[in-house]
Amino acid sequence: MAKKILVVDDELDMRIFISTLLETNGYKPFSAVNGKEGLALARKGRPSLVIMDVMMPRESGITMYRGLKTDPDLRDIPVIMVSALSKKTFFHSQKVLDDYKGEKIPEPAAYIEKPPEAEELLNAVRICLK
Amino acid sequence: MKTKNRQILLVDDEEGIRKVLGISLADSGYHVVTAANGEKALALFKNMDSPIVLTAIKLPGMAGIQLLRKIKKDSPDTEVIMITGRGDMELAIQSLKFGAVDFITKPLNDDVLQIALKRAKEKIFYRETVRDYTENLEQLVYEKTKKLLQTERLAAVAQTVSAMAHAIKNITGGLTGGAFVLEKGLELENKKYLDQGWDMLKRNVERVKQLALDLLNYTKEREPDYQLCDPNQPIQEVYQLMLPYATEYSVALEVDLDTKLPDAWFDPERINRCLLNLVTNAIDACTDISCNHRQGKVSLRSLRRKNFAVEYEICDNGCGMDEETKAKIFQQFFSTKGSQGTGLGLMITHKIVDEHRGVIECSSELGKGTTFVIRLPVRE
Repeated sequence: MAKKILVVDDELDMRIFISTLLETNGYKPFSAVNGKEGLALARKGRPSLVIMDVMMPRESGITMYRGLKTDPDLRDIPVIMVSALSKKTFFHSQKVLDDYKGEKIPEPAAYIEKPPEAEELLNAVRICLK
Repeated sequence: MKTKNRQILLVDDEEGIRKVLGISLADSGYHVVTAANGEKALALFKNMDSPIVLTAIKLPGMAGIQLLRKIKKDSPDTEVIMITGRGDMELAIQSLKFGAVDFITKPLNDDVLQIALKRAKEKIFYRETVRDYTENLEQLVYEKTKKLLQTERLAAVAQTVSAMAHAIKNITGGLTGGAFVLEKGLELENKKYLDQGWDMLKRNVERVKQLALDLLNYTKEREPDYQLCDPNQPIQEVYQLMLPYATEYSVALEVDLDTKLPDAWFDPERINRCLLNLVTNAIDACTDISCNHRQGKVSLRSLRRKNFAVEYEICDNGCGMDEETKAKIFQQFFSTKGSQGTGLGLMITHKIVDEHRGVIECSSELGKGTTFVIRLPVRE
């Protein structure tokens, strides 16, 4: 059965692009437009993988990511970050938040800077779902 | 001290004094020129313009005080030391009032003379230093400003280029994605992909077009294309255009227009652009992470204001701005919208309102919301 992948991005273009890429490669994508909806859909849809943006309105990817990783039912789902934020900035923000909250959140399985290349993203997906 | 400053004009009618004092001063390193009376002294002074004059207060012919006043009048920077007799205290004090730097009394004591000379030299030195500073300050300010302007211009160019690169990179992402989806549609003969890919391409081509237009609008100095129209027309158009966008982000968009506004002269296309920018910003402010606890609301109003053709008011209850942000909003390429913002919107809005000789005002409170007001003047 096709593996379900949750795509979370506020940009319509990005959702369509990633969904099409996944669909045409035998996966079953479903999407959310912000972190809040993303977390709710992750609980409901139980995806094998989450591909998400960091900077989104309503609830940011940073909050959603921590939500995923601190939920015992969801923490094992691999996450690929796709963001316009540089990798360095993102990892720095994670470290600061870890220190602040006194918890250690694991790093995402992959981090891809926007705009994502089809092959790069697909490779990351394949590695995560191996 | 400069060579010129080592010159002293010594004026005394007593030859003995001229000789003794002359030797003493020459020993201290001064170049001494002597005169026996005021008239001679004045004639010499006009040629040599020495910084220090040492003169007896009592002279035959022109009195020492008179000489002092003439020198101070022609050359206020020259310091004059008076040589007085024991009974000349009144005259000595008077000479100070006329600008003498000091006076020494006969019989002359070398230490007292040196102190008086030192005082004169210090006065000259301070005055010259202050003058140097003042003159150089102008030069310094000029040079620093020039340098600063160059740096700022370079920084502005770098900022512009970087903002453009960012905006273009973003759109390129959309175009590449659109092409990918379209190709899949063609490859798999899938109608959904074809439609979606085609829409993406169109959307991003439109974004490139808007970006180019925005840049042109900003760089080009041009008079508005004035037309007589209903001031409610552009705000209605913007409302219709933005309603789906607001709904998508569950922001309530409201419109309240004064339908009795008379037609006015303005450039409808450009005013539309201004209002569109403000409404887009207002909706974006309501979808900010910090506002997810309340229902976002944006209201558009048109109203009559005394001395103006129309007042537009765009009010939101979104994230608002702190003072620091508010101070920067009309600046070049300043954006709070991360990858989505080019920082052109408000800059252009401001420019268009300026070109209409209108007024744009912004009031905002962090966490409460923002209100923008545009007033357009009456034109005949």
